[in-house]
Amino acid sequence: MNKLSAAKPNSANRLYPLVLLLGGVCFAFSSFSVRAQAQDLKGSAEAGKAKVWLCTGCHSIPDYRADYPLVYHVPKIGGQNSAYISSALLAYKKGERKHPTMRAISTSLSDQDMADIGEYYAAQSSSSPINSMK
Amino acid sequence: MKFIVISLLFLASMGVASAADIESGKKLVAERNCAACHGPDFYTSIAPTYPRLAGQHEDYLYYALRSYQVETNANFGRKNAIMGSQAKGLTEPQMRNIAAYLASLPGPLLVKK
Repeated sequence: MNKLSAAKPNSANRLYPLVLLLGGVCFAFSSFSVRAQAQDLKGSAEAGKAKVWLCTGCHSIPDYRADYPLVYHVPKIGGQNSAYISSALLAYKKGERKHPTMRAISTSLSDQDMADIGEYYAAQSSSSPINSMK
Repeated sequence: MKFIVISLLFLASMGVASAADIESGKKLVAERNCAACHGPDFYTSIAPTYPRLAGQHEDYLYYALRSYQVETNANFGRKNAIMGSQAKGLTEPQMRNIAAYLASLPGPLLVKK
């Protein structure tokens, strides 16, 4: 008798549909395990208005400079692409970009925060209102 | 007299730390095709995750290029496959000139609360 064609034991037969069902469920839910990247979330400039208090301390002061390893102006972020801002913040958080201050700030931000902050700064122009929050 | 001539020659040969060369920066940027990603005006990038560069602070742009070069530096390195390969091989004067050119362009970047 060909061993390959031998029927499998009864208990295993009953498990097959269950295994198939489990596999199907796992497959369906596998998409949820992908962590939402900061730039996939929808940010809102209005929500960002309340979240930029950490940013204004350096990035809203004209001529503000950092001093390591050389003296340089902190970048202008008003009018910058929102997805760039949020991806840069994520890179600081992940450690792909090294900078002690930016890392400390970004670790306190959620993906949604980063998206909102990105949208807030992207919306800035010479005619946009100054942030009324203290 | 000899002293004056010699000291003048010495000073001339030092090469005054001049303002970075914007024209040279413009040539470099064209050669290296930065506009391919950052846009022809350097504020209409091809992907929203690529930054606008036009009008950014000159010293910050130099700092950023340098950071991409020293990607493993624990204090200011940046690990980015695209920019790392772009910044590779740039000398300091080249980076300063590129930064000066990009900083001189008109753009929407600003400092505001």
